[in-house]
Amino acid sequence: MGEQFVLLISASIFCVGTAGFVIRKNPLIMFMSVELMLNSVNFLLVSYSSFLNSLDGQIFALMIMTVAAAEVVVGLAIILTIFRTRHDMDVDHIDVLKG
Amino acid sequence: MLEIATVFDFTHDAVIFVVGVTAVLASLGVILCSSPIYSALYLIGHMICLALLFLLYNAEFLAVVQIIVYAGAVMILFLFIIALLGGKKEIQENSLHRSMAFAFVFTLLGELYLSATVGPTKQVQGEIPAEMFGSAKAIGLELFSKHIVAFELASCLLLVAAVGVICLAKFSFAPLRRRVR
Repeated sequence: MGEQFVLLISASIFCVGTAGFVIRKNPLIMFMSVELMLNSVNFLLVSYSSFLNSLDGQIFALMIMTVAAAEVVVGLAIILTIFRTRHDMDVDHIDVLKG
Repeated sequence: MLEIATVFDFTHDAVIFVVGVTAVLASLGVILCSSPIYSALYLIGHMICLALLFLLYNAEFLAVVQIIVYAGAVMILFLFIIALLGGKKEIQENSLHRSMAFAFVFTLLGELYLSATVGPTKQVQGEIPAEMFGSAKAIGLELFSKHIVAFELASCLLLVAAVGVICLAKFSFAPLRRRVR
């Protein structure tokens, strides 16, 4: 399948992820939307690495996966700590920086 | 991955089209479900679709990594957190902000697509032989020769993340509070 289709699919997934990050209030689903955005970029890198016959894109996608895994772990720990102190899961209510 | 195409008697392009559209639909399911547990299940489906797409674009090693790391580890972590916090339903209201967000996002989609299609792509000549493109051996050769610094930095990043998470989870805010008051 051509490059146009790959670009369209990847841009669609990225924009769906952006929409989810903007419209949802649950921090877990906001995190999942960030994962969607990272995954769309990964897909674009892998497909273009195949089009251009060079492995650099796949290495870059591997690094993005590493960073995403670390980011998810730290983010979920922060969400857990916030829930432990506040018992509230709405990001609109978390508006002060002191515990 | 010509085997998939020949077994089901599809063309390569048709398989890519179907899997790609399924991935987009699953991502829509992630953001439109009101309960986080359904969102997580849709996200697992989306990850598996992306792994299939990686396979169809000759990236076998990354497809396996995608299944193990994302659909395995990361999503299990999400499901554990949802089980711990209780998947409460979110009240959705149709406000002006919501429709504005959708308008913004669809404008962004159009602009991304236009800007991506207008610009020319420079063709580079790779030196990887076709039969081992995307295999674990090719990725390993590339990773440990050309990208060794990035590899070591990634290991440092993972170590820092692990230590940080242990600090966040183990020492809760009790010692901090005692010091303040």
